[in-house]
Amino acid sequence: MAVPGPMPWGTPAVTRRGVDANEARFAQLFDEYSAPIFNYVLRMVGDADRAADITQDTFIKAYRKLDTVTDATSTRSWLYRIATNTAIDDMRRRRMVRPMGDDAPSYANRPDPRPGPEAQVMASTLDERVQRALSTLRPNHRQCLLLSDLEDMSAIQIGEVMGLSYAAVRTLLCRARGEMRRALSAEGFAR
Amino acid sequence: MTMNRHEPFEELISASLTGDLTDVERQRLDAHLDTCAACRSVFAAFMEQRRIMSGLRHVAPPRDLAARVRTGVEGGAFATLPWWRRPAVMFAGIGGGLAAITGVLLALVLLNGTPDEPEIGDATPPPSASPTSSATVVASPSQEPLKTLPPILPPASPDASPAESINPPSPSTGPSPTATPIPPSPEPDVFIALTGPSDNLALMVHEPVPSGEPLRPIAQLEVFEAPNTPPIAAELSPDGQWLAYIAELGLSGLNEVRVARVADPPDGESGQMDVGDVVILGRSVATTPFLKGLEWSPDSGRLAYTLADPDASGESDVWIYEPEATEPERLTDVGNAYAASWIPDPDDDGAAFGLWVSLAAAEPVSYVVELAPGDEVATVDPEEDGIAEAPDVFMPTLTPDGLIAIYWTGSMDAEDGIGWVMSEGGEPYLAEHDLEDGTFRNERPLFSDLDVGEEGWFRYAGISWSSDGDAYAIWDAAWTGPSQGGDDLQYPDPTRVYFGHATDPRGLTRDHAIDEADLPTDTRVVDAKASPTGEHLLVTVRYPLSGDLSPPRADLLLIERNTGSEADVMRNLSINDEGWFGPAAFDADDED
Repeated sequence: MAVPGPMPWGTPAVTRRGVDANEARFAQLFDEYSAPIFNYVLRMVGDADRAADITQDTFIKAYRKLDTVTDATSTRSWLYRIATNTAIDDMRRRRMVRPMGDDAPSYANRPDPRPGPEAQVMASTLDERVQRALSTLRPNHRQCLLLSDLEDMSAIQIGEVMGLSYAAVRTLLCRARGEMRRALSAEGFAR
Repeated sequence: MTMNRHEPFEELISASLTGDLTDVERQRLDAHLDTCAACRSVFAAFMEQRRIMSGLRHVAPPRDLAARVRTGVEGGAFATLPWWRRPAVMFAGIGGGLAAITGVLLALVLLNGTPDEPEIGDATPPPSASPTSSATVVASPSQEPLKTLPPILPPASPDASPAESINPPSPSTGPSPTATPIPPSPEPDVFIALTGPSDNLALMVHEPVPSGEPLRPIAQLEVFEAPNTPPIAAELSPDGQWLAYIAELGLSGLNEVRVARVADPPDGESGQMDVGDVVILGRSVATTPFLKGLEWSPDSGRLAYTLADPDASGESDVWIYEPEATEPERLTDVGNAYAASWIPDPDDDGAAFGLWVSLAAAEPVSYVVELAPGDEVATVDPEEDGIAEAPDVFMPTLTPDGLIAIYWTGSMDAEDGIGWVMSEGGEPYLAEHDLEDGTFRNERPLFSDLDVGEEGWFRYAGISWSSDGDAYAIWDAAWTGPSQGGDDLQYPDPTRVYFGHATDPRGLTRDHAIDEADLPTDTRVVDAKASPTGEHLLVTVRYPLSGDLSPPRADLLLIERNTGSEADVMRNLSINDEGWFGPAAFDADDED
């Protein structure tokens, strides 16, 4: 499926400055990967605004460290590793920072206004149900499952992104699939 | 944990979906699937799952993503900012659990600066008159000379008009003959508070609201692991990553020095401590403000503080903590040392080359202990190892740029149960601090309308500088003599806060006390901070214990200082009438 892309990195700024090799390389990187990275992060964090922020930070970091990428480095794995780490940082931070509303103190004992599980399943689109199932996975399970099934990476490539051995990725991926199978079942998908 | 007999094959099934099987594994899996219905079911489920995942809807990124990245790349900021310096990003799109708040234990307040507007005391002062040097400094000949910058204090002129104090005279314009309107004051931008009931302490973030409405909590950090006791001092590291604070340990007469990580490391660097983690640096006898200094080095790499050992008759020494280190390091082992101020290196932005360490004695003295970034912290004897000496100077408290100091001068005495306090002649002085040779020049008594001598002196006081290098606050001023304020005014008054500016030629006078009515009745000032704009004070006041075992209570007050007949404007930032609110710490580098 073609992935809709953002506005391209663009050449005007590059042209004005003369075509610096790194600039051109980064422009190519951005145009090729910004949409897939955004979608990967979106599935990781489940929020489009956060995904945009994380994608933005990912490419800013990538720009600053572009000269560390050698020919031997898998650019794609490197970029996904930055995105993964940035998303993990964000998720860790948000575990520490719990939002509060205007009248937060009174929220503590407020009944959950959301519909019950069955009603949610009935009312949700397939996409929402899958996202909800994903969100119940442990972060490392979610990462490797997304890298495998959404990004179509091999175990070796996933290992490059997550800093794991080939064997560790295979074990982790199997456990992630088992966990996801149960989560999808809870969302009404047949086992 | 036991492994079921299908588990090895489930891993093979999983690996087969991404082509990660060897030929041998493939043959082994195929043979097993021919005979195992359970594994065939797993295979089908995993296949279906992969089909579902790969069919997830693709979402277009924001169309301005490239522009945002370019802005970040060219601006060089954003991604490295601590989370609470970018609240709009941090809190965007968050949904989820909410937590109860029942008290506030520590507050950080970020003020919205107005750099384009003139600030009080922001004018360029004239060259100072004939510098003197009552604080003789002896630099070690073997050491590199300290760094220098031009003097900035105006000539002392206690009779100057209040107008001059608001806009100090500049060489080009001279003093204004009429009062100049005070520019509009900023409101608090974000309010961060360590909050919670005694069993659920947490760092809270509050957002500002229009004047008159209560502050709104918008986020909460996880619970600190340290015991929950009222904080009585707090300082934020210049990089915004760390908060040092002193917690009062009930009625034990002891304090505890702690450091908490309050922001993630920049650029995704990993750290030993997570946001909310607290490390306890030691316990100290809780007596005078001299023991409550929390001095961050300009590069945030070190915290200097003083511990008075409760097991050694209150002997005090200086300790250094490097964030993320497992243990603090002892800098002195002499029993009468106090951490005063880091000395910034003007040639190396963000670095300090040494620390002023004061030795309490009948005749106090201060020394510069050399301690540059990267230097190993070793125990030193300031008297022998110091590279500069300032006799008759105790606890020089420097502005962040190191150019101005308030220090104590006079005799000292060790009181039972209290420790070292100033005695006869004890008085704070305002002076320029020469970064080249460590001398204090152009000095003058801080309180310009006070007669300090045999009839009365200060034992101690709390002192803090604003990050603007001009505004300062004095509180908890322990005056020994009779009032010098006439029939109707207690002066000096230990219950009030004195708010001055170094560039005010009048110095500090009885008129610089904030309005008496600003402070709730019977409260005592715990801490006071002058805002980075030099226009506000944030004052923490504690209420007396009720005697019915109610938890301790303190309020945090935001005070906009006015002069003449115009009353100060005070807002109580506490969000309810119970619990502990404050102290405050400002973010000097707020960029939002």
